Amino acid sequence: MTVAKKQILLKVICLVLALVLAAIAGVSFYDQRHYKETVVVSDALTEVRWLSDYVPMLKGTYGDTPIFIFDSGVEGGSVLYCGGTHPYEPATSLSAFILMENIQVEKGKVFVIPQCSYSATTLGVQGNAYPSYYTIETEWGEQKYKIGERNTNPLDQWPDNFTYINYPSGQSQAYNDLRNLNRCYPGRLDGTFTERVAYAIMEVIRTENIDMSIDCHEASIMYPVVGTYVAHDDAMDIAMMAAMDLSATSFDMKIEQSPKSLKGFTHREWGDYSDTLAILMETPEPFIDRIVGPMTVDLMMTGKDLFLSFAGDKGLTYVPYTAENDHSWPMNVRVGRHLSGAAKAVYYMNMFFPEKEVIATWPSYEELVEKDCGAFLHDPSAANPDQVYKF
Amino acid sequence: MRKVMTTIICIALMLCIAMPAFAAISGDEVKTYGTPFLITNAGQGPGGKMARLLVSQTGTLTLDTDYFYDSEPGAEGHGTLDDMDYSCLVVVIGSTDKGLGASGITIEDELARLEKMVAHAKEIELPIVAVLLEKDKRSDIPTNANERCIDAICPNAEWMVVVADGNTDGRFDKLKEEYGIPLTVIDTTLDFTELAKLAFVK
Repeated sequence: MTVAKKQILLKVICLVLALVLAAIAGVSFYDQRHYKETVVVSDALTEVRWLSDYVPMLKGTYGDTPIFIFDSGVEGGSVLYCGGTHPYEPATSLSAFILMENIQVEKGKVFVIPQCSYSATTLGVQGNAYPSYYTIETEWGEQKYKIGERNTNPLDQWPDNFTYINYPSGQSQAYNDLRNLNRCYPGRLDGTFTERVAYAIMEVIRTENIDMSIDCHEASIMYPVVGTYVAHDDAMDIAMMAAMDLSATSFDMKIEQSPKSLKGFTHREWGDYSDTLAILMETPEPFIDRIVGPMTVDLMMTGKDLFLSFAGDKGLTYVPYTAENDHSWPMNVRVGRHLSGAAKAVYYMNMFFPEKEVIATWPSYEELVEKDCGAFLHDPSAANPDQVYKF
Repeated sequence: MRKVMTTIICIALMLCIAMPAFAAISGDEVKTYGTPFLITNAGQGPGGKMARLLVSQTGTLTLDTDYFYDSEPGAEGHGTLDDMDYSCLVVVIGSTDKGLGASGITIEDELARLEKMVAHAKEIELPIVAVLLEKDKRSDIPTNANERCIDAICPNAEWMVVVADGNTDGRFDKLKEEYGIPLTVIDTTLDFTELAKLAFVK
């Protein structure tokens, strides 16, 4: 074989190899883009709407996401529980799923949007070799869920500008926050894809006169605002009492007031652009700390990491990460914190504003710690098909 | 004999019921002040507002009558320490984790404000009660904003009230020893309501 022919053969082999690798990656990308999570909602569900019911231009896009409504039929207040603003903080959406599968409502209405930034669930974090999925073990088998991105998918909004100016404040922010739902509030109809999603969620809050809106997040444990409520001025008393109560009776919870100068956040704009009492909650998620080792499913589920444990032992983390808690923040603890954090906020809303009373129950922190997440998930194959939702 | 036993059992039961209430407040004796008193904060954290809310839970002290809240007394657009005859100035220490920058000021600005406020309080002989209601915020790091606020307020205080989890490293015991300031410890932040009932008397 001549040298020229050898070179051509080598090029063909390289091309085929590249195509094979691209195909493997493509299958993985396609799978995550189209994978649907399954939830067996409780019999308290009364209606499912979509963001596109409030902003029709979202219909048929990856910005559209379901809103599950649990209406007691008894006049009272209303609460919105949001998961998945940042899908790479999966305890937020899992807590929403567990809430939806077990909720009972006696008075008022509870709205749940489990995947606020649906587009961001359709890809993994770029460049970080994150796992795409995690599973929860149950008595009836495993249930598989997605680990998404922080920002909306570039397939839905691209290219990124070199600058991002929050609307309407005019505040200059990091360019990559252009696709971060929690920097795009209050949003606008004629804005970017992410701003439209933000606007649609604002429209849900305004149209439905939601009394209290709770946005769930997870934070790295070397970030000061972890294990914390961040509340809009109007919701400060509720969040302060909830934080002090939880810290005295259940688990440590801090409180911060939403700074007026930080624009685009739920805890600021939801309160400024509607009458809702806006609260954001952060649980500890070691997986997203900068100094951790391999980012595996095990790290996501247990929160155990050797490198981070050195920092924890030196007191450099903002929540405990020592031998006392086995250098861990497992998923059931994080989910439980969100569920009890929300329940306590509702309790104090009822106390401060009796006219907005909502009486609803869902699994507590203590139950999650005792029984783990799987105990609260129902078998879709054995459930009434009308209660099974895939999205 | 039966009567004596019944009395002993009754006393024991009463003590059992009362003990938790006593256990919530420990350390030096609770000092007492009249009304009205002023609550403020050091460090721009939520502590001042927490104290305002917890005092309102006493059910006996009324905001804007028996006590007042001002986040920055002496600053432009705010009241001053001698607006009325306050019995004491309750300074709740705690920096914001969201960042002083987000509040639009630096820690140096905040410390300068505190220094001025303390000087004014001393000038008008207004007693300062230093209060810490939040848990430790990495109190072993001296440059921490929270630590600097503690240093700005506590040595000038007449009394310190601290939540137990805010003193895990004995930081306030050392201040007590160094400056001879009485230190009262509450088990949880919520216990500040009970303490307020005892400390602020109409």
